[in-house]
Amino acid sequence: MNPRWLLLKRNLLDFWKTFRRNRMGLAGAFLVLTAILAAVFAPLLTPYTPTETMRDAEGRALTFAPPSVHAPLGTDDAGRDVWTQLVYGARISLTVGFLAGFIAMFIGSLFGITAGYFGGWVDNLLMRLTDVLLVIPDLPLILVLVATVRQLELKVSPLVILILVIGLLYWTSTARLIRSQVLTIKERQYVYRARAIGAGNWHIVRKHILPQIMPLIVANTVLILSTAILIESGLAFLGLGDPTQPSWGTMLNFAFDRNAVSNGAWWFYLPPGLAIIWATLGCVLLGNVLEEMLNPRLASHHLEGEQSIVTQP
Amino acid sequence: MKSRKWLVQVILIAAVLLSACGQAGGGSQEPVVLKVGWTGAPDTLNPAYAFLTESFTIFDLTYSALTTQAVSGEYVGSLAKEWTHSDDGLTWTFTLKDNITWHNGEPFTASDVAWTINAIIADPDGWAAVSNYTANFVEAAAPDDKTVVITLDTPVGNMEYRLSWIYIVYPPDFEVFTTPEDLQNFTNDTPTGTGPFKVTSFDKDLGVIVMDAYADYFDGAAKIDQITFQTFDNSDAMIQALKVGDIDMVIDVPQSAFATVEGFENVKAVKTAGSYFSELIINSVPEDFDPAPNKNPALDDPQVRLAIAHAINKQDLVDAVLQNLGVVGDTIVPPQLGGGFWHNPNIQDIPFDLSKANAVLEQAGYVMGADGVREKDGVRLEFRLQFPSDNPLYPRVADMLTAWFKEAGIKTTPESVDPDSLYSQMTPAGNYDLVIWGWGPDPDPDFILSVMTSDQFVDGGWSDSGYMNPEYDQLYLDQQVTVDKAARQAIIWKMQEMVFNDRPYIVLWYEDLLRAYRSDRFTGFIESPLGIEIHHSMLQVEPVQ
Repeated sequence: MNPRWLLLKRNLLDFWKTFRRNRMGLAGAFLVLTAILAAVFAPLLTPYTPTETMRDAEGRALTFAPPSVHAPLGTDDAGRDVWTQLVYGARISLTVGFLAGFIAMFIGSLFGITAGYFGGWVDNLLMRLTDVLLVIPDLPLILVLVATVRQLELKVSPLVILILVIGLLYWTSTARLIRSQVLTIKERQYVYRARAIGAGNWHIVRKHILPQIMPLIVANTVLILSTAILIESGLAFLGLGDPTQPSWGTMLNFAFDRNAVSNGAWWFYLPPGLAIIWATLGCVLLGNVLEEMLNPRLASHHLEGEQSIVTQP
Repeated sequence: MKSRKWLVQVILIAAVLLSACGQAGGGSQEPVVLKVGWTGAPDTLNPAYAFLTESFTIFDLTYSALTTQAVSGEYVGSLAKEWTHSDDGLTWTFTLKDNITWHNGEPFTASDVAWTINAIIADPDGWAAVSNYTANFVEAAAPDDKTVVITLDTPVGNMEYRLSWIYIVYPPDFEVFTTPEDLQNFTNDTPTGTGPFKVTSFDKDLGVIVMDAYADYFDGAAKIDQITFQTFDNSDAMIQALKVGDIDMVIDVPQSAFATVEGFENVKAVKTAGSYFSELIINSVPEDFDPAPNKNPALDDPQVRLAIAHAINKQDLVDAVLQNLGVVGDTIVPPQLGGGFWHNPNIQDIPFDLSKANAVLEQAGYVMGADGVREKDGVRLEFRLQFPSDNPLYPRVADMLTAWFKEAGIKTTPESVDPDSLYSQMTPAGNYDLVIWGWGPDPDPDFILSVMTSDQFVDGGWSDSGYMNPEYDQLYLDQQVTVDKAARQAIIWKMQEMVFNDRPYIVLWYEDLLRAYRSDRFTGFIESPLGIEIHHSMLQVEPVQ
């Protein structure tokens, strides 16, 4: 078998052994996985469609009906099953969160590596740009941006706007983190050696820097996911989501607009709130544990695994 | 950060001050304050350029017009004591009441009335909010301090109604404006009027309007000392404020909270049939219109429109979306206008019948495709279904319509659009298929009928359907100048029939008017078929002893 595969397999097994013993990490993984599974298998988890109105015997719509056998989490202001809304809402919330998170991760890593590795004016330029974005309060900026972009009458769904705006604004912390890590790695002996034997920038970044910071990127991505899901919920709650494709935030927005609190319909606003906590808490727990376990500052560098090859000719 | 703290302090101080105002009622010397909550706010207090209902609620209390609508629905004199018109209907002579004074103490004269009316006639752009009420007016004159003479170029059938919307303003406040833009930009935060209450402060940031009773009001001063209007961003907070007694009255209870409010102790919730309606707008802009409309051509087919009408379960919309606080609608003139006099009762609504909808489309040659969407000559029954994003009801309506339409082989894609963008996309660009929106008609049908006329389909106009029917336009002009009530009714019934049959609008429902007040604190609210009428009620209410 390819030795590289063996190495990867060994690393993964090692990782799993450590991870298995970390209860926080397991809990986080459980929360995230269940949320994803609910989103993927939404149609199997409920007999209704999200726009279906529940009716009583006379065919009248059952609005704000409390939880029952037919509707385990009750019905909302339009007589729809809240549980159905919840599992279908997971699709939108998680999709927006994941896509925005990946965009942020990609931009953040690109900027971080470029700035850290090349230094000089490139570093200065990128870091000042990061600083500018860091000092502007995020939520007001996002609100203004989303509202402005929506005014432009682009022929895109409000969700695409949300994804892009969150993705294009939330890369700053990743960029700073990655940059500082790259700064320390590029000064290491093996990088100098590689350069001495004529390795190019691309080769060094790909072979020596990226593998070192990859775990950091992974951990950071999971953390950004939680932020992205939270921001999406916040914006949707403020009415900037897509009301025709309800996410958890949109459900809260409807609950608020349609007086679920005055009606005592706790089953309408509590589940989406808890679902948001469920998903973000999962991401935070998982991300923190991954960061702890994978942080290269705490672990040995990747050449150690190959040391035996070097010393035993 | 510093400025934010400062803001918090200001809000705290304001809150303390406000709650201090609210402690009234203990001693006999304490001023009596009625605190009203609402979720809206006036756009401006300038009657020349105000468009929101909330603005007109304030105008009704602070300004006066020559006439006003009584609780019975009849038009009676307000500033005017009596009036006559010449036999040809072209000259109207009004005699003013005595002892009318402006809020600043100056005497009110007939020349103030003439000035206001002439200003509107001279600058219809600047006075855009009220200029349609002076259509056919030639001029107003004040031969003496107590007499106003208005001359018309043709007789007008609804003179008293029109005059009830022309608030007489204090000329020195408005004389300074030379261009329509200057007039439109005037905010008039402390209006000088002749009405029973005068605005002492209008704080847009806090959303608070304070109005003091005007002791010298010519029809007798109010029994309370002050009214405050507080804007709530969230209706749940408003409902809770009513429950605990932070406010005494809510004048726009949301449908979804009404049942809850009815259960509150010491609160009286009043539901009356209202005239606000919502409709499905079908793009009716003629293909040869300039600019050319962008729509699915299938919408021009009357059979498609009929099928759409068959595929809408209006009762279900009323049940689920309005929480049963309204009735299904049919014509653009709601039954509440003029006590039911103008609504055409002979119109038979199209029943909800999906198999009928399918049969109509089948017969018209629209064949069901493999993907469940009907098609004829390459034209698929696939429409945009848009609605303004500021309305919490319409996303629900859009979802329900989409589900029914699907059963009939019509595919609609709901989309929420910012209201300003949606308007500019519709009028006069005609770039839409189906839109859900609503209207709040005036007590007289004239306004809502004008919405369907051809010449309103211009930038800034009221028409959003692009309905163009020369016969209808002519009838609209006819009803304006028909003085005989029965003859005018016949014309208006005919107009409703035309709109109903051509279906530029499919009227979905008429909303109930929902208001509530603290019955343990105040008494004397006038409940009429028009709901709790604000202007007359505020003159009557008094604290419960």
